[in-house]
Amino acid sequence: MNFLAKILPFLQFSFLTKVGFLAIDFFFVLFLIVALRQVYAMNEIISGSGNPFAIKLTAFILLLVAVSLFLTALVIL
Amino acid sequence: MPDIFIAEPTTETAPTKTDPLIDDADFQTPVSNAQDLSPQNPVHLFSAFRKDPDGVDFSDKEPEEKIILFIRRSFITNVRWIFFGVLLLIIPLSLPLILHFFPNPLPPLSGQFYFLLTAFYYLVIATYLFIDFISWYFNISLVTDKRVIDINFSNLVYKDVAATKINLVQDVSFAQIGAIRTFFDYGDVLVQTAGTLDNFTFESSPQPENIVHIVEDLIGKHNELFG
Repeated sequence: MNFLAKILPFLQFSFLTKVGFLAIDFFFVLFLIVALRQVYAMNEIISGSGNPFAIKLTAFILLLVAVSLFLTALVIL
Repeated sequence: MPDIFIAEPTTETAPTKTDPLIDDADFQTPVSNAQDLSPQNPVHLFSAFRKDPDGVDFSDKEPEEKIILFIRRSFITNVRWIFFGVLLLIIPLSLPLILHFFPNPLPPLSGQFYFLLTAFYYLVIATYLFIDFISWYFNISLVTDKRVIDINFSNLVYKDVAATKINLVQDVSFAQIGAIRTFFDYGDVLVQTAGTLDNFTFESSPQPENIVHIVEDLIGKHNELFG
């Protein structure tokens, strides 16, 4: 009982931190999907103003990294 | 009587000047080969000002409409977010040094979690830099021979496209306040329109005096031709 009383706050903190991290990461993935959609929408409005391929690629890479991080966190944590 | 000279039939049609607002100097004969079709004055990734840009197109552009000015905010206005971004990238690198002198305030969690946390931190910083960059990149003002177009885009959530015809533009002026703006030659260009229509402001535009001259010239030519 004494042992549980000692370890419980840490377990709760650890669990909440991990769930919180996964939730934040998930919302971040959603945010990056919005960013990617906006990049595509803006390229529809105006084209030829620089390097659209580089911008789209960067947005896609960020989304890919965020998804990879979320899946890794889901497996590891 | 024998013919002394017989002109060879040409396949190219004679150039026709469709738009009276375009200068004769800008008016060029049609290109003859594929090499000449490549843009002569393209807009690059970091271009903030381009006169007579090639290759730029927007959603409701008319076929004979010619873009005269392509304007973004001066690139020097990006220095602030670049500086903060670099600072935020450096902070985790200096963390071990700080923890060497102070007690560790972080809770005892696994190394894997710290790795994920660091990766997530860098992802957030990269996204912050990207969002700031595209906020600059897609914030574009265009002056064509027919219209003035202002595309406002900021922080992913605000998007506004406004346009007015050249004949509705009444006055163009610019404000260049401060030593930094004078040194780097950028300022706000105000395009005032007739009646109750919204005015346009090209914020932190490079070469504001040049922009004002070009737009005034355009208005003058339009008034000469169409009264």
